[in-house]
Amino acid sequence: MDKRLLTIINTVLLNRGKKQVKKIKSKTNLRNDIGFDSLDLAELTVRIEAEFDIDIFEDGIVNTVGEIISKIDSKK
Amino acid sequence: MTFFLKDINKIVDWSALIEDINKENAYNPYCRSKDNYSIFKHIIISMLRRKDLILLDSDFSDSELETLTNRSDFEEFNIRLDKPESSIQNKSELIEKLKSTDDNWKITLFTSGTTGVPKKVTHNFKSITRFVKYSEQNKDDIWGFAYNPTHMAGLQVFFQALLNGNSIINIFQLTKEEIYKEIENNKITHISATPTFYRLLLPCSNSFPSVKRITSGGEKYNEKISFQLSDIFPHAKITNVYASTEAGTLFASENDVFSVKSEFKRLVKIENNELFIYKSLLGKSELNINEWYNTDDLVEIVSKDPLKFKFISRKNEMINVGGYKVDPNEVEENILNMPGIKDARVFGKYNSVMGNIICCEVVCENEQIQESEIRSFLQSKLQEFKIPRIFKFTNKIDTTRTGKTKRT
Repeated sequence: MDKRLLTIINTVLLNRGKKQVKKIKSKTNLRNDIGFDSLDLAELTVRIEAEFDIDIFEDGIVNTVGEIISKIDSKK
Repeated sequence: MTFFLKDINKIVDWSALIEDINKENAYNPYCRSKDNYSIFKHIIISMLRRKDLILLDSDFSDSELETLTNRSDFEEFNIRLDKPESSIQNKSELIEKLKSTDDNWKITLFTSGTTGVPKKVTHNFKSITRFVKYSEQNKDDIWGFAYNPTHMAGLQVFFQALLNGNSIINIFQLTKEEIYKEIENNKITHISATPTFYRLLLPCSNSFPSVKRITSGGEKYNEKISFQLSDIFPHAKITNVYASTEAGTLFASENDVFSVKSEFKRLVKIENNELFIYKSLLGKSELNINEWYNTDDLVEIVSKDPLKFKFISRKNEMINVGGYKVDPNEVEENILNMPGIKDARVFGKYNSVMGNIICCEVVCENEQIQESEIRSFLQSKLQEFKIPRIFKFTNKIDTTRTGKTKRT
């Protein structure tokens, strides 16, 4: 799943003309480490929802990669 | 020889129309048909017999009909028509009779309802033909009919053609090739349509000198299209009109700046960039209008005296992205300026982060263009929040019943 998530994150970065990341860790912060702004996060939710069928921001703010993964896991 | 109507596989000449009118012995105030000729004939009979008429879109569903009229079946309203005192003998007699239609005749139609339930609007002969010009100059016009016949824009074209005794050729919902064939074969001189319709005609390497007038309306005017159209129709004067179901055609312009004529000076006002028109310009509607009617159109004032303005957008088309208002027309216009892109539709989709996220459907001309290319093209032209985040590549963009780009 990490790999699929990494691909999605890099798609958002690429579309925005930002530098892609090589790897992500559980602690990786979406804003500070990856450099996402609100618009990128909005796009990220749409792409994650298309792939994993879950709206990760539905119940409030998500800050790290680990939090996304636990949201996706909770759906299973 | 001029005919009355050429529709798919059917030509009706004026004498056949007159014969049909003379022998008609039944009438129903509700008119709902897929056939343009039936609709046009129904309108003419209602005028001659001074019977009220309610136009319904052929594709209204039963539940829409229930909502609008409280019923989905109209058989019970059928009445018998008495034989007229005298039969109509020829085309000029028919047109003269139609021109003398008085205020006892009412026609009701519904707005296209892009924003929810369609609104009901009633006009009389004077209000629906306010902008019809009949003159010697117009008698040989040949109209390409590119609208839904039960909507305001279609009716404006119909009355313009009818009262001048012109031929009408239906070109609505045909393919690009079929449209050009009709223009060529019938030597069409006048076309009135939405920018979406004209986009369908592009690109084209041929030119059609018979066309003298191109009118564009219903959506935001697009200069790029107008430029391309002038190559295809080298003899055409291209006009942009502002019209609404409530008021019919109000303003016309040769570019995107509308000037308010002196006779309308006191009947039009702009407040907070919203366009208001005085109630005397409106048909009768169920809306509770005090004095001024808010068109829900956002405009930009170009000059105050004389009043000139540009149309910006429909107010309720604005998409709210995290508190920022995005005008889908502006985004579409920029996307359409990218080489290789044929059509685009921009719309908002609910998003838990920003409230809405900008989405876009794109039709490419030939080769597949990458999403990232479009986005980087837009980056130099639009603020980041206006740039679509989700793209879908498709072959065709849906249009509304009126022929405008569908937003939802």
